[in-house]
Amino acid sequence: MKRVLGPLLLGTALSAAPAMADDLKIGILFGFTGPIESLTPPMADGAELAMKEASDSGLLLGGATVTPVRGDSTCTDASAATAAAERLVTVDHIVALIGADCSGVATAVLNNVAVPNNLLMISPSATSPALATDGDKGLFFRTAPSDARQGELLAKVLIDLGINTVAVTYTNNDYGKGFADAFGAAYKAAGGTVTLVAPHDDGKADYSAEVSALSVAGGDALVVLGYSDQGGNGIIRGSLDSGAFDRFAVGDGMHSEKLMADFGPDLNIFGTVPWTEGDGTAKFAAVAEAAGKAGDGSFVRESYDAAALIILAMQKAGDPAKAHEHVMDVANAPGEKIYPGELAKALQILKDGGDVDYVGGSDVEMIATGESAGSYREFENKGGSFETVRMLTAE
Amino acid sequence: MSRTPLLFAAMAAVLLAVGLLQSWQLALTILNLCLISAVMALGVNVQWGVAGMFNVGTMGSAAVGGLAVVLISTPPVRAAWAAGGGGLLAAGAVLLATAALAFLLWRRMGERSLWRGPAVGAVVLLGLALSQRWFLPATAAIEAVDAASAGYLGGLGLPVVLAWAIGGLLAAAVAWPIGRLTAGLRSDYLAVATFGISEIILAVLRNEEWLARGVKNVTGLPRPVPFEADLQAAGWVQRLAASLDWPLRDTASVLVKLAYSAWFLAVLLIIWWALERLARAPWGRMMRAVRDNEEAARAMGKDVARRHLQAFVLGSAIVGIGGAMLVTLDGQFTAGSYQPLRFTFLIWVMVIIGGSGNHKGAILGAFLIWFVWVQAETAGLWLAQAGAAALAPDNPVRLALEEGPAQLRYVVMGLILVLVMRFSPRGLIPETTPESSR
Amino acid sequence: MTDLLNGLVHLASMLIIPGLAYGSQLALGALGVTLIFGVLRFSNFAHAEGLSLATAITILFTIWLQGRGVSLGVLPTALLGAVLTVPLMALVFIGTDRALYRHFRRIDARPEVFMIVSAGVMLMTNGVIRLVIGPDGRDFEDGERFIVTARGFRDWSGLAEPLVLKTSQMLTIGLAVVATVALFLFLNRTQAGRSMRAYADNRNLALLSGVDPDRIVRLTWIIVAVLSVLAGVLFGLDKGYRPFVYQQLLLPMFAAAVVGGLGSPLGAIVGSMIVAFSELALTFAWKKALAYVLPATLAPEGMVQALSTEYKFAVSFLILVIVLLVRPAGLFGKVAR
Repeated sequence: MKRVLGPLLLGTALSAAPAMADDLKIGILFGFTGPIESLTPPMADGAELAMKEASDSGLLLGGATVTPVRGDSTCTDASAATAAAERLVTVDHIVALIGADCSGVATAVLNNVAVPNNLLMISPSATSPALATDGDKGLFFRTAPSDARQGELLAKVLIDLGINTVAVTYTNNDYGKGFADAFGAAYKAAGGTVTLVAPHDDGKADYSAEVSALSVAGGDALVVLGYSDQGGNGIIRGSLDSGAFDRFAVGDGMHSEKLMADFGPDLNIFGTVPWTEGDGTAKFAAVAEAAGKAGDGSFVRESYDAAALIILAMQKAGDPAKAHEHVMDVANAPGEKIYPGELAKALQILKDGGDVDYVGGSDVEMIATGESAGSYREFENKGGSFETVRMLTAE
Repeated sequence: MSRTPLLFAAMAAVLLAVGLLQSWQLALTILNLCLISAVMALGVNVQWGVAGMFNVGTMGSAAVGGLAVVLISTPPVRAAWAAGGGGLLAAGAVLLATAALAFLLWRRMGERSLWRGPAVGAVVLLGLALSQRWFLPATAAIEAVDAASAGYLGGLGLPVVLAWAIGGLLAAAVAWPIGRLTAGLRSDYLAVATFGISEIILAVLRNEEWLARGVKNVTGLPRPVPFEADLQAAGWVQRLAASLDWPLRDTASVLVKLAYSAWFLAVLLIIWWALERLARAPWGRMMRAVRDNEEAARAMGKDVARRHLQAFVLGSAIVGIGGAMLVTLDGQFTAGSYQPLRFTFLIWVMVIIGGSGNHKGAILGAFLIWFVWVQAETAGLWLAQAGAAALAPDNPVRLALEEGPAQLRYVVMGLILVLVMRFSPRGLIPETTPESSR
Repeated sequence: MTDLLNGLVHLASMLIIPGLAYGSQLALGALGVTLIFGVLRFSNFAHAEGLSLATAITILFTIWLQGRGVSLGVLPTALLGAVLTVPLMALVFIGTDRALYRHFRRIDARPEVFMIVSAGVMLMTNGVIRLVIGPDGRDFEDGERFIVTARGFRDWSGLAEPLVLKTSQMLTIGLAVVATVALFLFLNRTQAGRSMRAYADNRNLALLSGVDPDRIVRLTWIIVAVLSVLAGVLFGLDKGYRPFVYQQLLLPMFAAAVVGGLGSPLGAIVGSMIVAFSELALTFAWKKALAYVLPATLAPEGMVQALSTEYKFAVSFLILVIVLLVRPAGLFGKVAR
């Protein structure tokens, strides 16, 4: 009876599975609706750039093409994200997943979908130090470094500049909170004083209460750990308008030159951002420009890198299902350094049995926990655009 | 009367179709959330459908139910208890004493005493200020314990299914004072008040990290079902997979989801059965009388405010159970994920589409709406590919469809809601009371 | 003396001016809420989305105007765009009413039904906004941004504390006053306004005395359109436009209207000011202000903050709950429970 009913009822799901893949699908699970919906379209574009590059080369796994399938993670609703991921895996038969974008839904998708289905998952933007990856069975990676590291570096930058008292405001989510905790601990350990730590909620109407509290607490600079197109923008606007602060130290979420477009080229702003010196970024910018896409948004380079890593790992493994075992190999030395736009070269090297060390747009270097070690740059605004002061590496 | 089974059969057929055409894992994922939504919809239906109360604070009850899962099922963080447990208990004791004193004062001082309000207010403020002396250092100490992975008190380490019941109780306990405060209010005021209070509950959950890690989320919650990996290793599953001629991984995944479905279905059936019993009992008749004609019920000596309070607390408890089950299914408690659109208005749409006052209707509505909510994205993609092709390439509607098919959800929900209200206000399965069916 | 002045300037800059501006924006919104409640008898959950849609359309008009080289000099061009938007929004509102609310008025539906329908309208408007302008934020303020800048004031006065007055704040407060006065004049001095009030007070009596209900409803929506455009645009000018921030205004607007008493225009204004100022004052750190006023020995160590800023929006509900407990009809309301 089972033999009859089983295939009859369940068979169709199987028949759709690709036998030997000419067309590999890679899922992109970002919050196309929800709080970061303005960031996600360029991120998805970035990831799709890498896929197109690999498909066009004709070198991947004997001429396979890569097709993106987008899903909506909503950024906040774990249930909807799980359902979307489930659809990507079981209906579209994706071989790997880029995402989820936000730490909360990323954990849900990892535990409920990726682990049961043995699916490689690389998130370009889930940076929360609180994102627990134990029990991920070696399936989860992130191309953005954990914020714990960046917090320490930002503290060092401030101390080195001789700024010893600051007020801190962070966006009230796992990213902001984790970042602020790490920053505060490192800053105090280095002898700095934090006068006030006040969270701000993104998407709120008005930030004057936060700004006035921060201003009364005072400090030589205001540390803003938020998003440049969200509450962080409102905080800076409020601080400038009221004359509360005129010097801002920021993290990666605020690394956007749109701030100077909004607040004038003289804005006194500096901070840290995961960065790669010279080549990677410039090359990615060129790749993006050639394709007519925006290349400078938050996490766009990381998204491209996530897709590239998946593709290279599949090539190295020779079998999409085993790709996760080779992410570390292609991301790290030894091997030829690979920059954006050079995926064809990398695929050829791997095909010939060689090794690659993927650098990409965001200087990918995976550490044992499956996250990017991250080199950072200290940047500051010089006349309307960000310039590198120095490169920093975490000890 | 044959409409109800027909509608349920149609719903089942749609889910089967998803299983056959898309995948069984997806069908079961949707089914599980349908079941949970149905529980929440029953809760709202008790308040709106049965008692006629317009509670827009469903989100708060769901979140409190979810909190219970953290408090009951996660292992305790002993270091945090050692660091700040004593201080927290001291602060709690001060607050309890304050509440008792305030209550006594309120009782002792006469109705006409001008000083009653100020005196009670002063006691409360003093008590709050005093409790801060222990509360602030204690919470700071707790949050400092291994901040990245703990930083909270943890739970009791008890089985997670127990947490569902506790979630209901906790939601009821939170709902009771709110109900006392608002149950007598006119509907507009009730709506605004409950809407606001649910936001306050969420603000507390987001910001009080010692309780449930705030925005840092609690992940890896225990599950009432085995892990897929363990099932894949189990002999009987391998034999089952072989006899079904099905990949092992899919078999295990489907089995886990079926196990969840069994749990949720059991809870849903128990609640549904209890509510049907209640509806036939004198309590149910009285509730309907109160709802349909408050003045008459009052004139007949019924205590309307008391009935409202009962329905409010009962409904909130049921929503709390649903919230707890949802957190269990997700495997994590994320305070930032509670949005009124998803946890209040969506549940409302379910109840109204299904048929307010009719529990079967609420269940059907929950199934239907969750299905549409999740599948709107697929439908949107299809529309974008097929339907939009008919439009000019630079047509804004087409561009919007291609940009974000998922965003169609909101429009679809609003449209459904408005159309049902306009053309079929009693919903898919209109209410039939025991009295009228006779 | 300088200390006292510094303290005053600090308070004005951080508390009074932002409070007045925020209160005025809330008031324009709450007036709409309360008008709809008073005349049409329901709490409109779609009101915030209406504000957002109005602003979105204004921005599109503004961009168009800027493209044709139209400018208001020091004032933002958006003001012209707003004028163009009002008739459009009035059409949108009246159209929605024709399609939906009118039906429920005719069958004399319960107020909850209206609220549910308005929630449906809210969801649909949300989608329409995405279609019209997309989810991204926009900065559409042009002209002179400041009337008094922080640095300018410091240089001029020699005080340590800066005083800031933005054009948008001044515009907000000024236009809110003008709109309020105009509304009161309309309601009290014109025939149409009087019949509107009569209709709000006692629908049946008004109908008996020959008031045309359709006309009243149309008028109400037109006024609501004017108020919505003003509130939305001024808010957007002051804080930068992001389409879904307006949802966050719904609760404070409701709270303000309820505190003042649903249906009472005066109440809406007083309620808005109460909500705005208590949000700011309770989360305000009084340390600096006290330090200027008190002698050095008494100057406070801590922040002297009644409530940390995380809970600022909880304040409006605290007030709401207290008002509901003590005086359920609100400060200026007539109907209890």
